[in-house]
Amino acid sequence: MSRVVEVPAQLDDRSFDQFAAGFGSWPPEEKLLIDARAAQWASPYGLIGMLTAGQALAEAKRDKPLFTVPQNDEVKRYWARAGFFHHAAELFELHGKVPRPPATGPSDVLLDVTPVRATEDVHEVVGKISEGATRILHGELGLELKATLRFTMALSEACQNIVEHAGTSGWVAVQAYTFRRRLGRRVVVIAVSDGGVGFRRSLESTHAKRFGERWGDGTALEAALIQGVSRFRDPGRGQGLAFIKRFLDQWKGKISIRSGTARLTIIPPWDEDVPLSEHLPYFPGAQVQIIIPAQEAESR
Amino acid sequence: MIETIRIGRLLRETVTLPYSCLVTRPTGAAVRGRIEAALAHSTCHTAWLDFSDVELLDLSCADEVVAKLLLAEPVTSPPFLVLRGLREEQHEAIEHVLTHHRLAVTATLYGAEAPCLLGWASADARAAFDTLIEQDGASPAELAAALGWSEGRAREALQALVAHRLLRSDGVRYRPLRTA
Repeated sequence: MSRVVEVPAQLDDRSFDQFAAGFGSWPPEEKLLIDARAAQWASPYGLIGMLTAGQALAEAKRDKPLFTVPQNDEVKRYWARAGFFHHAAELFELHGKVPRPPATGPSDVLLDVTPVRATEDVHEVVGKISEGATRILHGELGLELKATLRFTMALSEACQNIVEHAGTSGWVAVQAYTFRRRLGRRVVVIAVSDGGVGFRRSLESTHAKRFGERWGDGTALEAALIQGVSRFRDPGRGQGLAFIKRFLDQWKGKISIRSGTARLTIIPPWDEDVPLSEHLPYFPGAQVQIIIPAQEAESR
Repeated sequence: MIETIRIGRLLRETVTLPYSCLVTRPTGAAVRGRIEAALAHSTCHTAWLDFSDVELLDLSCADEVVAKLLLAEPVTSPPFLVLRGLREEQHEAIEHVLTHHRLAVTATLYGAEAPCLLGWASADARAAFDTLIEQDGASPAELAAALGWSEGRAREALQALVAHRLLRSDGVRYRPLRTA
């Protein structure tokens, strides 16, 4: 018996729940086929979310899932250029012709799909992003020059959360694109995902007791993002997400974190998302998305 | 005597990768270890921690390097610390972590000469610090006169700054740390 998990035609943070629901109970017992044939587009969040699923299945010692690649040549080429297939080949049994990635990625990919396994990888990510970040953030999005460094700090903190808390490795990708549907402007998106223990389990031993019966994925996310708590007793911990949130307030940016069965979002004025979604289909680890929009002319 | 510790050089000696970005907690902890070792072997009364050749400082390193250095158990006669050459976003990250810990340090921004109080301090302590910088030192009575305060209020503000190791005092006059 095998289970087919359909990749939504447009795979992003919103349709991700549909993708997660396809796995049923976690980890699924059946052999899996991830069917991306009908995929038309995937955000960085979607791309690294699929890799996270493959990684979590491997760590759960499940059979290597099958993965049918998109039929659309342009979509395939884009996924190849973003580095998706390079990593997917280790986690899935790929079916379908995969184009060879070019030597350099597309100009709107600031950071192709990159694994984050250890501290050295965070240094690597920070080193890689600097030049492209200035070009896109200042040149295209109209953010002040110093925003580039703040952006890189935010990226560093987001990646460190994997190394420090996930208990496993993860993925990061950064991309610029036009957010037609919701905003009608260019945005830069940072996506960070891991298939680790998630926020609830990470904080459980130190914080669950004071929340009593309310403790769950949603309260764990609120404790981390809103109250700045950390599993470490060190009083200096837990400030990274608070700092990211402060930057995003200045830029009218958005952060959403999905972990387990909940998703918490800090909503900017241009968006109509839900602050806290609970009882979502379970997905392992934590998935973070940070969106920084082009600044409106009057605020430049 | 003043000793200058170049943080960028310590970073390059600490990590094998060719980056000038001070990021991640393990890197910050390693750099702090090097600073502590340098201070332990020094007889200086003031140490300038020079950040001017650090490209990026993230929040984790601001906490590991600066906050934990200030929080460390004091050795005998620890030197006064001054942060120098901070760029705006480095200043912002350090300010954030020091405020969180209710700590403060004397600092100068990149390209600036005037020192500032970076981190957490009461409004009175800040006003006293700024006045002392302007006057290059004062007694509690002089500070009280300059700010229109009672002498007791001025003394209390000065003692708070001394407790944060932001001023030197011979028991009569209070002087800012040398930053240039």
